[in-house]
Amino acid sequence: MNTALPEASPYTNSVSTQQFVYRVDVMPHHWASAKTVKPGLAGDVYAYPVYWFATSQPCGDFIERVTAELLIDPILQQAVVRDASHHDVTTWQLPAALHAKTKVSVRFLPGVTDNVAKTVESNLTYLNPPPDTRIQVASGMVYLLEQRLDTPDQLAYLLFNPLIERARVVHIDPNIELSVDMNFIGMPAAAPWHAEPISLDLDDRGLEALSQSRCLALTLPEMQTIQAYFSRPDVTALRQQQGLPAEPTDIELEVLAQTWSEHCKHKIFSAKIRYTDMSDPDEVQEVEIDSLFKTFIVGATEAVKPDRPDLLSLFKDNAGVVQWDDQTAVCFKVETHNSPSALEPYGGALTGIVGVNRDILGTGLGAKPVFNTDVFCFANPDEPHANYSRMIPAPAILLGVRKGVEDGGNKSGIPTVNGALFFDPRFRAKPLVFCGTGGVMPLKVNGKPAYEKYTQPGDLIVMAGGRVGKDGIHGATFSSEALSETSPLSAVQIGDPLTQKRMGDFILEARDAGLLSGITDNGAGGLSSSVGEMAEQTGGATIDLDQVPLKYPGLKAYEAVISESQERMTLSITPKHQQALQRLADKHGVELSIIGYFHNQGTFDIKAGDALLASLDLDFLHKGLPQMTLKAYWEVEPLPTIRAEAPPDLGVVLLDLLKYPNICSREYLIRRYDHEVQGRSVVKPLMGPLQLGPCDAAVMKVHYDRPEGLVVSNGLCPNLSDWDTYHMATNAVDEAVRNAVAAGADPLSIVLLDNFCWPDPVFSPRNLDGEEKLAQLVRACVGLYDIATRYKAPFISGKDSMKNDYDDGQNRLSIPPTLLISAMGKLPDVAMAQTSHFKTPGDLIYLLGTTNFHPGGSQYYHYMGWSNRYVPQVNVLQAHANYKRLHQAIMAGKLNSCHDLSDGGCLVAIAESIIGSSYGAHIDLTAMATHSPELRWDDLIFSETPSRLLFSVAPEHRDWVETHFAEYPLIYMGQVTDAPELKLDWKKSQRMLTIGADRLRAAWSQPPAQCWGRVPSPVRTQATDFGSADFGQVAIEQEGELRG
Amino acid sequence: MAKRALVLCGDGINCEAESAHALRMAGIEPTVVHINDLIAAPKQLMNYGLLLLPGGFSFGDEVSSGKVLAVKLRHGLGEVLTQFVAEGRLVVGICNGFQALVKLGLLPGSSDAAEALRQTATLTHNQLSDGHRPGFINRWVWLSVDNRNRFFAGLDRFMLPIRHGEGRLVVGDETVLTQACHGETLYYETDVNGSAGCVAGLTNPQGNVLGLMPHPEACVRADQHPDPKAAQKHGDGEPAGLQLFKNMAAMMDEGGRLT
Repeated sequence: MNTALPEASPYTNSVSTQQFVYRVDVMPHHWASAKTVKPGLAGDVYAYPVYWFATSQPCGDFIERVTAELLIDPILQQAVVRDASHHDVTTWQLPAALHAKTKVSVRFLPGVTDNVAKTVESNLTYLNPPPDTRIQVASGMVYLLEQRLDTPDQLAYLLFNPLIERARVVHIDPNIELSVDMNFIGMPAAAPWHAEPISLDLDDRGLEALSQSRCLALTLPEMQTIQAYFSRPDVTALRQQQGLPAEPTDIELEVLAQTWSEHCKHKIFSAKIRYTDMSDPDEVQEVEIDSLFKTFIVGATEAVKPDRPDLLSLFKDNAGVVQWDDQTAVCFKVETHNSPSALEPYGGALTGIVGVNRDILGTGLGAKPVFNTDVFCFANPDEPHANYSRMIPAPAILLGVRKGVEDGGNKSGIPTVNGALFFDPRFRAKPLVFCGTGGVMPLKVNGKPAYEKYTQPGDLIVMAGGRVGKDGIHGATFSSEALSETSPLSAVQIGDPLTQKRMGDFILEARDAGLLSGITDNGAGGLSSSVGEMAEQTGGATIDLDQVPLKYPGLKAYEAVISESQERMTLSITPKHQQALQRLADKHGVELSIIGYFHNQGTFDIKAGDALLASLDLDFLHKGLPQMTLKAYWEVEPLPTIRAEAPPDLGVVLLDLLKYPNICSREYLIRRYDHEVQGRSVVKPLMGPLQLGPCDAAVMKVHYDRPEGLVVSNGLCPNLSDWDTYHMATNAVDEAVRNAVAAGADPLSIVLLDNFCWPDPVFSPRNLDGEEKLAQLVRACVGLYDIATRYKAPFISGKDSMKNDYDDGQNRLSIPPTLLISAMGKLPDVAMAQTSHFKTPGDLIYLLGTTNFHPGGSQYYHYMGWSNRYVPQVNVLQAHANYKRLHQAIMAGKLNSCHDLSDGGCLVAIAESIIGSSYGAHIDLTAMATHSPELRWDDLIFSETPSRLLFSVAPEHRDWVETHFAEYPLIYMGQVTDAPELKLDWKKSQRMLTIGADRLRAAWSQPPAQCWGRVPSPVRTQATDFGSADFGQVAIEQEGELRG
Repeated sequence: MAKRALVLCGDGINCEAESAHALRMAGIEPTVVHINDLIAAPKQLMNYGLLLLPGGFSFGDEVSSGKVLAVKLRHGLGEVLTQFVAEGRLVVGICNGFQALVKLGLLPGSSDAAEALRQTATLTHNQLSDGHRPGFINRWVWLSVDNRNRFFAGLDRFMLPIRHGEGRLVVGDETVLTQACHGETLYYETDVNGSAGCVAGLTNPQGNVLGLMPHPEACVRADQHPDPKAAQKHGDGEPAGLQLFKNMAAMMDEGGRLT
């Protein structure tokens, strides 16, 4: 018996003429258990699963057996099996007590990944199916609504997403019950592969129209370059010789568009930019920059490299690789999946996470994914927002993305260890979904560095994993454009974590057996991109479309080449390993196809059997893209200074800030993600006796039996972009580094990843401030260079997403310039890992770092409705010195807790350290006020000056700590108290605030209503019992020269 | 005598590495075997004293958690599995492994051999008594156990992490619950997922099959605890999860059968 069960596709044979359809409704014994809450739908909703079977022979008995043994849980469910071929339908009545008036059947559109159906189909073998019978399965959900509805339109995005699913609505009535949906949705018939010649004999308008109508996302100069290339006499002569038409075929045009897409080639980061700085009208500066990427990102890394012998592979592979110890290397990659998540939040986020997992599997000869990170930037679903065509409601985006990352990470067995959630109404233009994955690989496989690739001419091209379908066509080009009415539906797809998990297990075993010479993932651009890129190493490749396994017939040739169908990797192997690789694939239940071979002929050829359909010169494909020339223009816009008296009730302010969407607990997300699988976890997202203490960074072990810890953190502050993206960038880096250091990472071990998500920075009539947005990009890059070189923290990988706008022709929305910095570092011994919550009453609390007047962009100012141009600025030299000094104290075992100061400033950080503990704190601001005498009291405690850390130490270490930090800005803040409350004193005598830890905890833990799906009990903010002193007296009103 | 365990992997199981590591720490020699390799040669199972079904998402939790794995094991291993259990060898299912054991009918199990593989209970979507569905939960929870159970010797009140979306025990009828809770049951101290009787883990009447939703393999080092300082203060030495694996080793030394 062949136990290995490749996921056989039901569509490999042509669609048979005869078909028998069965429908199985799996209903609960107790309807209460099927009751669900659907935000946005009135009344009760009951849901249950439904299956369709299409068989080539009648096999009712078998379907009954499948239902009994596989589809139902006998403790909870019963099933009604209907046989459409006889029209002999069992009439079945819904219990009247449900009051259901409408029945909605939701199922996937043809070609969309149906994981439930796939699982059922591939396990029918165990239930002795009748011989010679082809069986196809589809799955869906039935919803029973109390509301009476006539069309499914009102249910779009509430019960189904019309881009991937269809819904059918019937009124519940015994007579109509007969009309259950018995149709099995068929697929189109197969057609021979065909390449369509596309004439480029067009004027400029024609070229632009062609680019737009085919979703090529190419600019006019790029289209002209292609036009010129194909009219070159040598090219025409060669094509004639090859039997190809003179004009490009649709395959060639599409492959060029994928390869040259902003998504794949990062044209804006590689552009020549003329930057004009008008911030000082007396001294206008003009600078020419030849590639932001080379100048500032690679440039910073090159500058740091002499100090960093651990850097192994940078900027050339799917992820950056760093040496971990004498046996091991680690790698890290962060991707964005904004555009797909905007259209289908669940599928977009799911394919985002499994996609970046594949980047890790495809780094070097393959790495094992050991952690995921997720960072989301959304419009707050609890606030009203614009709703234009194709925009999904904000709550549905948050819920869908949350579920997508949950399924993607949990089902893949990769812990989600670190993340962030940031709200700004402007993310209505596009939600940002950053998905990161870190991996571990042996330093060497078969005596050769495992972080390199060794593909040779003559090696076979192997496609492993899923099959190719119409899903995910034009993903690369579509994400290179604004979201609009015409965004292609096919770009949306669902992932299949199970198929990918099997493939990942297979790949790591194949790597260790030395069977692979190279590997890369099929992400954006599909085979076109994966094979096209690998071909660069040998100097050519040929693929045969007849060997590419399809999910179903009916794909056009170009679609098969550029499809981004998920769960596929492209491998290269020497021919002698073919059998061994196949055996391994059979064991893991992974489908393999040899789809071609690598050569050194200088071309990327696509054939169907013997017929050549496309041939592209590799040199033109990869280097023919003309460099963009862009203009950037920087002018400082005066921002208003708005400020009033400090608010009278500090307690109210503190509680409101703790509830603030960008400060409050993320527990409702964190608990949904498995952050411990693989057994490496040390510092989890929430720690302490109550498992509530927010942690600044994740700490995990790379090897179970060694003490070193891997530290992962992130930094993100788009709230500063409106002032100056230079400071936005330096603050993001500082935040990521500071978080890692707070958890115990050695500041000299840190590596960084940059992920830019920008509004379109190219000027056009629809984007009049494009040049300013480009200037913002330039300034952010300069900021990155300045801080990374001084922190000696290299960039090992990064990505940019440059078209985060919504434009339906009338309304145009743009996100604020956003930069995510992810950091990875090393803690020599996890026993020294730090967490944020206070540990022991009597411990002394210190603040490291000077507090300056930095209210611009702060949560406090946002809350008060104030504004100020002094945004947080990083004092890089002092900050880095502080971090190194702090790390020595951590490694000396002197600290009991450590927490970074971030959104909300000093008082919020103190509150968080209390929230996570069973204790309280008595804080006296005397020393802090003396250290920063020019600050009004509210600025002192709410200013968001970067690079500051709060830590606690046992009283016996007082002398050691104060001596150790003698030359550093160390400020004594108070003591941890047994009493679970925060007491705040001003200059020893005046009590500003006494507030119970429970109230701090309740405020901070209150989840946004829409996210949790459960309306939380209201926590009312009441006046606190703080003293009557008038703190307006100590306010400092002059705002002159306070720049730190 | 070497104590050997077969740790199942493949098809979406994903805790095999840390489970094997935990066994090794407890002095049991683990072999990680792919389910397709085991089904190709089921008799190899008899070379082991312990079958461990680790946590994970077998078959992506599609249809329902552990269901498809149970069907595959029932039809792929057949009598070898029933013989393995009847001989008193140990079977331990963690999280998704527990779900599969319940759907196979091995748990709560029956003292009647003819009933060995009949499903009498299930593990399904978390739902609290107020109807709230917390979905997937990753959190450390307090557990308590009756000390008569050999798997839990030396443990009475301890913490382990849960990481599941379908951990709510539902029984066909109440007698199943009464019989299942024969004084050898692992309980949640507070209701975390709506499980009948706050049951977190079960053994069969013979005492050689254990299934539990919490993850003992995620608590074999003090540094894994969310409150490591408290863990050191209150612990009786070994982290709770490691103690559980050591108990398995002790049971294997004594022939596996619970007396």
